[in-house]
Amino acid sequence: MRTETGFDHSLYDRFPTSDPRPEGELEELERIWCAPKGWQLLTAVNNNYIGIFYVGAAFLFFLLAGILALVMRVQLALPLQGILPQETYNQFFTMHGTVMMFLFAVPMVEAIGVLLLPQMLAARDLPFPRLSAYAFWAYFVGGLCFFASLFFGLAPDGGWFMYPPYTSLTYSPGINADFWLLGIGFIEISAIAGAIEIIVGVLRTRAPGMTLDKMPVYAWAMLVLGVMIIIAFPSVILGTLLLELERAFNWPFFDPTRGGDALLWQHLFWFFGHPEVYIIFLPASGLVSMMVAAMARTPLVGHNLIVLAFLATGFISFGVWAHHMFTTGLPNLSIGFFSAASMAVSVPAGIQIFSWIATFAVGRPRFNAPTLFLLGGIVTFVVGGLTGVMVAMVPFDWQAHDSYFIVAHLHYVLLGGMVFPMFAAFYYWTPMTSRHPLSERLGKWAFWLMFAGMQVTFWPMHLTGLMGMPRRVYTYLPGREWEVTNMISSVGAFMLAAGVLLFLIDVARSFRFTTDHDAGNIYDGGTLEWLPTGLYSARSIPVVKSREPLWEDPGLAEDVKAGRYLLPGSATGLRETIVTSPLLAEPQYLQIMPGPSVWPFLAAIFTAGFFILLTIQAYTPSFTCGVLAVVCVLRWLWDTDRRVKEVTVDAGAGVRLPTYVTGPSTHGWWAMIILLIVVGMIFVMALFSFFYLFGVQSQFWQAPAPAGHLAIILPAYLAAAGLALLSRRMLAREKTEHWTPGVLYLCAAAALAAGVGADMWSWIGSGLVPEASGQGATVYALLSLEVLLVGVGVLMACYLCARNSRGMIVRPRNNSLDLCVLWVVYAAAQGSMTGVLTRLVGA
Amino acid sequence: MRTWALLLAGLVIWTVHFFALYIVGSIWLTTPLARALTLALTLLCTGAIAMFLVRARRYLPETAMDRWVRSISLVGLGVSAVAILWQGLPALLI
Repeated sequence: MRTETGFDHSLYDRFPTSDPRPEGELEELERIWCAPKGWQLLTAVNNNYIGIFYVGAAFLFFLLAGILALVMRVQLALPLQGILPQETYNQFFTMHGTVMMFLFAVPMVEAIGVLLLPQMLAARDLPFPRLSAYAFWAYFVGGLCFFASLFFGLAPDGGWFMYPPYTSLTYSPGINADFWLLGIGFIEISAIAGAIEIIVGVLRTRAPGMTLDKMPVYAWAMLVLGVMIIIAFPSVILGTLLLELERAFNWPFFDPTRGGDALLWQHLFWFFGHPEVYIIFLPASGLVSMMVAAMARTPLVGHNLIVLAFLATGFISFGVWAHHMFTTGLPNLSIGFFSAASMAVSVPAGIQIFSWIATFAVGRPRFNAPTLFLLGGIVTFVVGGLTGVMVAMVPFDWQAHDSYFIVAHLHYVLLGGMVFPMFAAFYYWTPMTSRHPLSERLGKWAFWLMFAGMQVTFWPMHLTGLMGMPRRVYTYLPGREWEVTNMISSVGAFMLAAGVLLFLIDVARSFRFTTDHDAGNIYDGGTLEWLPTGLYSARSIPVVKSREPLWEDPGLAEDVKAGRYLLPGSATGLRETIVTSPLLAEPQYLQIMPGPSVWPFLAAIFTAGFFILLTIQAYTPSFTCGVLAVVCVLRWLWDTDRRVKEVTVDAGAGVRLPTYVTGPSTHGWWAMIILLIVVGMIFVMALFSFFYLFGVQSQFWQAPAPAGHLAIILPAYLAAAGLALLSRRMLAREKTEHWTPGVLYLCAAAALAAGVGADMWSWIGSGLVPEASGQGATVYALLSLEVLLVGVGVLMACYLCARNSRGMIVRPRNNSLDLCVLWVVYAAAQGSMTGVLTRLVGA
Repeated sequence: MRTWALLLAGLVIWTVHFFALYIVGSIWLTTPLARALTLALTLLCTGAIAMFLVRARRYLPETAMDRWVRSISLVGLGVSAVAILWQGLPALLI
């Protein structure tokens, strides 16, 4: 048997064990993973709690944004209605779109992942539980404050895509646009934190034996989702930074009169915005694939093709952003490329649809509430997909662009592709987290109201759009034949809302959260989340031998519950899980997991406070919050990366695993690499902006700073990287006294600062200022990004010195130092590229 | 790493091809040079796909996981080849 890590696969044959488990082992496990009570809930980090909080919060925002939609439909039911004035209507449609996309859809798919993935992979928890808690609280508190802006007339009003010049200071002088630009900062942080958690979780905490080919299809979907988030979100992070810099400091990124270009925003936004649709759809598609198989009582038809379809969608979704820009005057050939890609993306979606239909066809489907929502979602999504292919045709898009046809199309895609599957998932997985399942009878009523309401609302919008009604208008004149279809749409919206209300009643009546007395596997699912669980997830971690282990081995649940598999108790007296290899899921080491802590909660509160206070221009409190957020994060990190006294432990049946591992195989290293990819993508998009503006506005460019200054800049960065690497090497030497790793790392951070300082000085000396032109703005933006990296590097140096002084940087290898070294090496590389590339082009 | 390379080769080449075409279309607009470069890039990427196809076919699977990787790789490469040709087609039509 080929191995990935040298692990002996014959050890798997020892499971399930037959010896009785020691007295008190289960009680000890329950004590270690005990449930938080009262105020302790704020410190909870366990995925069962954070997952439920997350799902509940995302659903709250779904309801709030839905209420905004209902008010808008009342306004549009008849011509010349006066319920919403124009300014308020603008805020309503902007908040509806923004909240649905940023505060409901993306958080909801991540939330369901946080809740389901550890159970499905039979891990004790996701690998960074405190990060999950931080991501949730930052999102929840920040999201509520963001939504509250509506009550003060301060909500953004430039549409969910915030196109400049509408949103530039000239045309949006208040702070409404800033609320969007800064207010979603914490959502971006939260989404990326969730993505890191999910990627590392899927690749490194699967149950032993769960090789890639045996991985649940939902885990595949979440893996692709995570990767898409880390590639796509940096683009919108950079875009919001640039627009805010333009608004706050007059740096003309998007001002064509000074060498900027408004279309740059559209490129940055849609490079994020279109993959965003698939970021929402793919996890839902993963859920559907799991549920279809369970409901049809047969393995998923075309499992491999679905995995390939997920991967293909992940790639190609980054090649279709400009189909939102067909009317902006792109070169004809480019339009042709994007049109072709937009049609091609329907192929992987089609594979998934046919696979689901085939599974239903070969199985013995049950027509219960989850199945109805699944079928309703498939039908609705197919309609949205077909109109999507229509608007991929450039001549048709020119006609339908910015009309209600597009509103109909996107709602068919999003409701069919994500919302109906989400309700199906609620009905299907509620028995996993609740004492009682949801009601079948109410569920069917809710479905038919929602399905009919959806069709009645959005089908006529196709016609309204084809009759010429534009999007985002707060009213219309009578006599244009739009009255009837608008009235029908408004009636349908209330039918849809009635269905959601019925669902809420069902939840209030039946849902009772529990972690250990749940209703159980009432739909006879075959995957591991249906094992009997507590807060520690499964009692013991099974060895996986097929894609549907519970169908394959009917006795598995009993064996797992009796502790006959790996890690049946706590080997160190702490929270722990098994980290496995990425391909073959071979056990590698025991990860000691952090327990409940107030610091992630406080860090999140201060993070949200930083962004929200910055928006309302309360600078001193905002920066105070920023500093406190950093302090809280450092305090939370202080407890981590500590060795336990047991060097290796018995994880069950004599399988011994180390408790402390360093280097590229650790989950921390993986997380840092993913974080650096995020930072790298921000840098790549900034470089794209730089060269893009040079391409379209080169007449505004002046000669770059002298290339000769690179003789100072590049050696400084080289020294920084070298010193950082040396600090890692020196740690292994027992006799080092003066040039300790802390001192060397501090010198590396100083060299970084010298590098970026020299670069900045060089550009200032060239006479270029950021307000002067697109060149100035992008050059100083690139330098600012480097300054930010250097600042974090300096902070890391201080942190390492503090840990070193307490003897916490242990020899010969230490994870904290390893990760900080990676950061400095990356920062040096990015600084060097900034120095060279900004000098490549100019007058 | 080798497994991931095999698994994703087709899709990565497809992505490289797409972004290369985007750069060509943006710099040389709708010109004969752009069309010629599109053709050259399409042939180059199709060649790369063919090379990986040969490697994937030579890859002898030992385990169920290996067989799975090989099948995903082969289908991915085939689909990507079609997609690359499809993606290059606008240069002939527009």
